Amino acid sequence: MKFKTFFWFVAPSVFMMLLFIAAPLISVFIQSFQITQPVMQQVEVETCTPGFLTQTCVTETKTVPIIDEATGRTQTTTEWVGFQSYQNVLQMDKFWSAIGSGNWGDILQIDFWKALRFTLMFTLVTLPLVVGVGLMIALAVNNAAKSLRGPVIFVSLLPFIITPVIGSLSIYWLFVGDGILTATLERWTGQDIAMFAQAWTIELLMYFYRVWHVAPFAFVIFYAGLQTVNMDTLESAIIDGANRFERLRYVIVPHLMPLIIFIALIHLMDCYRVFDEIIGFRSQAHVISLQWLTFDFLTPDDAGNRAISRAAASAMLTMVGIVILLILPLRRTWRDHKRGAH
Amino acid sequence: MSSKATAQPLSLKIASGAFLAFWCLIAAFPIVWIAVMSVKSPRDAFAASAWDVITGPATRAAGNGLSVIDIALGLVFLYFTVRWAFTRLPGMVAQFSPPGFIVLGWLVGALAYGLVFVLIFFGVLPYVFGALNSIAGPLGTPILGLTTEHYVAVWGENQFYRNFINSMIVTAGVVTVSLTVGTLAGYGLARSGSNLAFWLLIIALVFRALPHSVLVAGYLPWFINSAEILRPILGDLSPTLYGQPWAIIAVLVAINQPFTIWMLRSFFQNIPAELDEAARVDGCSHFQAFRRVIMPVMWPGVITTGLFSFLLGYNDFLVTALLLDAQNQTMVPAIAGYFNRETTTTDQVEAVAAAVSITAPLFLLVMVFQRQIVSGLTAGAVKG
Amino acid sequence: MYLKKLALAGAVSLLGTTAFAACSYENDVPLKSLSAGFEAWKAVTDAMAECGNFQAELDQEFRTKQPAAFEANPSLYHIGGVSNGTITPLLNAETIRPLDDLVAKYGQNLSPNQLIRVDGQIMAVAMMVNTQHLMYREDIFADLGIETPSTWDEVFAAAAKIEEAGVVDHAIGATMKSGWNLAQEFVNMYPGFGGVFFNDDNTTAVNSDAGMKALATMQATLEYTDPEVLVSDSTYVQQQFQQGKIAMANLWASRAGAMNDEAESQVVGKVKMAAAPLAMDGGAPATTLWWDGIVIAANITDEEADAAFRLAMEGLDTEMVQGANEAAIWLVNGYQPGPLAEGAIATATANPAPPAYPSTTQMGLLHTALGNELPAFLTGERDAAATLVAVEEAYTTSAKEAGVLE
Repeated sequence: MKFKTFFWFVAPSVFMMLLFIAAPLISVFIQSFQITQPVMQQVEVETCTPGFLTQTCVTETKTVPIIDEATGRTQTTTEWVGFQSYQNVLQMDKFWSAIGSGNWGDILQIDFWKALRFTLMFTLVTLPLVVGVGLMIALAVNNAAKSLRGPVIFVSLLPFIITPVIGSLSIYWLFVGDGILTATLERWTGQDIAMFAQAWTIELLMYFYRVWHVAPFAFVIFYAGLQTVNMDTLESAIIDGANRFERLRYVIVPHLMPLIIFIALIHLMDCYRVFDEIIGFRSQAHVISLQWLTFDFLTPDDAGNRAISRAAASAMLTMVGIVILLILPLRRTWRDHKRGAH
Repeated sequence: MSSKATAQPLSLKIASGAFLAFWCLIAAFPIVWIAVMSVKSPRDAFAASAWDVITGPATRAAGNGLSVIDIALGLVFLYFTVRWAFTRLPGMVAQFSPPGFIVLGWLVGALAYGLVFVLIFFGVLPYVFGALNSIAGPLGTPILGLTTEHYVAVWGENQFYRNFINSMIVTAGVVTVSLTVGTLAGYGLARSGSNLAFWLLIIALVFRALPHSVLVAGYLPWFINSAEILRPILGDLSPTLYGQPWAIIAVLVAINQPFTIWMLRSFFQNIPAELDEAARVDGCSHFQAFRRVIMPVMWPGVITTGLFSFLLGYNDFLVTALLLDAQNQTMVPAIAGYFNRETTTTDQVEAVAAAVSITAPLFLLVMVFQRQIVSGLTAGAVKG
Repeated sequence: MYLKKLALAGAVSLLGTTAFAACSYENDVPLKSLSAGFEAWKAVTDAMAECGNFQAELDQEFRTKQPAAFEANPSLYHIGGVSNGTITPLLNAETIRPLDDLVAKYGQNLSPNQLIRVDGQIMAVAMMVNTQHLMYREDIFADLGIETPSTWDEVFAAAAKIEEAGVVDHAIGATMKSGWNLAQEFVNMYPGFGGVFFNDDNTTAVNSDAGMKALATMQATLEYTDPEVLVSDSTYVQQQFQQGKIAMANLWASRAGAMNDEAESQVVGKVKMAAAPLAMDGGAPATTLWWDGIVIAANITDEEADAAFRLAMEGLDTEMVQGANEAAIWLVNGYQPGPLAEGAIATATANPAPPAYPSTTQMGLLHTALGNELPAFLTGERDAAATLVAVEEAYTTSAKEAGVLE
């Protein structure tokens, strides 16, 4: 295909990605090295606020931004600060002193490292589970009677299609306080159980939710893959005396390998920006994730302050992390590409 | 697979069946449970005992409930309607839709089916049951608390249909634009072996991995001030992007592009290049070859990819919550609005009812397209 | 029956947009408002909508949207709903207009107490006050012969008795969801021990004796609360009350009405309100006073501002209050303080009175720092002294970034 033709085919798509993804990304990159702040002044202000029936007035010195007469907007200054915002996020001094003093646990007191720990663990724990559970469902459905397959596939897809906000809430309600599943567990074990009182139970629930939500996606793709397994290979394996497990191990799994890598790739990316679970399960007190950290920096407080620079820095750090994670699976795609090109 | 060697021992069959049953239970339970909660009074819906949630004593005490007759007849009716959907509906759709528009026919069919279903269940049956119960004596007294008041409140008083229409506009826009732009790019990428194409794909993949909250927060000031920013260029026509559904569609399409072009590219790679090369030999340009040769055979892949676009547009929360105003708000942020800082238990149950309502179209969609998803994926929309 | 209800609901909603049910005039300037979404706002915006040509946006994202939307020119909204916390960015950026002339024109029914003055100029009109105060199950207290506690020590003594009697799951409910709610608990407790938040040079003063005491009291609460208290916000505490799972809580006055909601509550008539407990003898009740009210955007035409203010006055009239008397502690004329308002009034009129939540840039930053750092203390990962140091560090970092500290 000539370059010109190629260009016109991909132009609309590339344009949209440049405008809505690349441009914000570049501005985030720049912002992570800058600090923009309003120019502040100290003024005496008398403020009167209502009590019940009578007002109270207080006079105090307030720090307020200066308004530019010409534009009517807040005067701001922008400074290049190098890696200072990264330092504020990473807090390397505390990191090294924690390592130096041997108190490794102290590292997890720093928000970024705490978030990184959970994000990585979340990604790596759920990955094999999603692939495994997805594969098991696919094999079981493939094994079921033809008439049952339709309804079973339908039910299996439900957790995947349901709106994530609602899916996580529905599970949260089952377990929070005396939610009915917690109450049932309490009756079984005879103990008082509080699923949202400590970090590890919340984490467990979050793993469970993610696997519940994503395994159907893996399932339907594996199931599609199973439909194209080469029967001749399978039958010759049987003739060679391969048992069921060996057939799975040496014929079916290699056949599905590209799909497994596809699922792994998608899952790595989606898990690494885990966010819905933190909000849905209100786990901020115990576990946080990298995207939540960025989101938290960006959420304005009552006074309208947001930590844009630190948010930009933590977003860039998240990006670096995902690129590192993706390098391994992508090397294979690169080899395929080279092979395909020659 | 009927040869003796592949026949399975009973134990394996049982184990596989049991696993499947267990999985279906886990998959469906939370969703079924919120559906149960949505038809109870607030006191029952958040009751501590599961039995209370199911039977709904407070709801029953308020005079809303189903009798044995209702349940029996309702179940029979439900069975037949669902059965009909699986057996007769496909035939009717095939019969009545014009050739080549089977997809559209399915959509119309599903919508009509859903509408009739709601009308009968909520419009006709309550009257019939009411009449039956009044003459049935003890069998007619309610034993199971059930109320549709939250649905009435959500769709009536709270005008949830507006959010529904907004959601439909945004979702339809996202699917259409995303597929149009995506098929072109996917085809181009599949037929170009250049390094540029490869790096485009890799960059797209990195884009897909970006945390959305970063992008979305970046849009807000631009969207709100766009009228001022664009005024020197567009004059008085310059729009305020904030709150505009089409601006949201553009954002969601862009965010979804990486996934779309990856899927479609691998799908097009499985269509033999000889097909369009033959057309090119006959004197077609690349675009003509795409339109005449590729378009007729690409539908399975496009439908599957379209479904994923649909899910993204329909389920999105982060973008729509921040960039749409109340008039154009879609369903998911509207539901999240029920859960804000100051809210009541009634609000929460209404939110649950709304949540169940927005799941219903997804149900219909999967019912209709289930076959196409599997066949589309089988045809090679995913090859890594 | 359902169809009839549906049709009726549809008809009513049509009426709401075309005819003007209870409004004294017809509004012909298209107006929009942006505010939070709780019951009181629903009542007020519904009353405004009766005049026509009005769109209310009750949005949980309003904090994010409001400063930017009011800064646009023309402003995307005419009327804003704010509290003493969220008015700060609008005041700072001067995107809301002084209302003195409009109050003179349309504000005959306003009481002086409602007018929020900054340097003599009226910048907002308050409609309600809100505060966290003690709600308790009167029946349980009477059964066990416990006096209404007036200090936190008495609260803990009462809680111990209630736990011993085992009549409820947990004696105390607390809005300690990590983040904003948890920080607010500290912001309530700390001035109760006589603490001040900031030094003169804008550095924070929370790392002090009062800070240690405040943390100690919060930790003491944990003994009597639900172990999942770090996920419980005011709605959750309200539900626990309604389901009879807790016996008392320091909860928002705007939540009082829900206790007597027949459809939701199993404890109708059993919950009483009292002043927020004192943290130390002779101190103020350990809580802060809040107000909610309306502001008018600066970047709109004077005609629009005129119409917007007139409409807002229609929303804040006696008729609206009479229709929603229990939704808030209203400041509007015609409000009848019922038994549910007793606690809030006792709190607000206490001597010394609790401070109003400070509307300053620094307070916003400190609130965030507290919300992020306190959970580690309550989960036991960090001791009190280290937590206060961490709060101080987090505040310093963000204050430098925001330009309030050198």
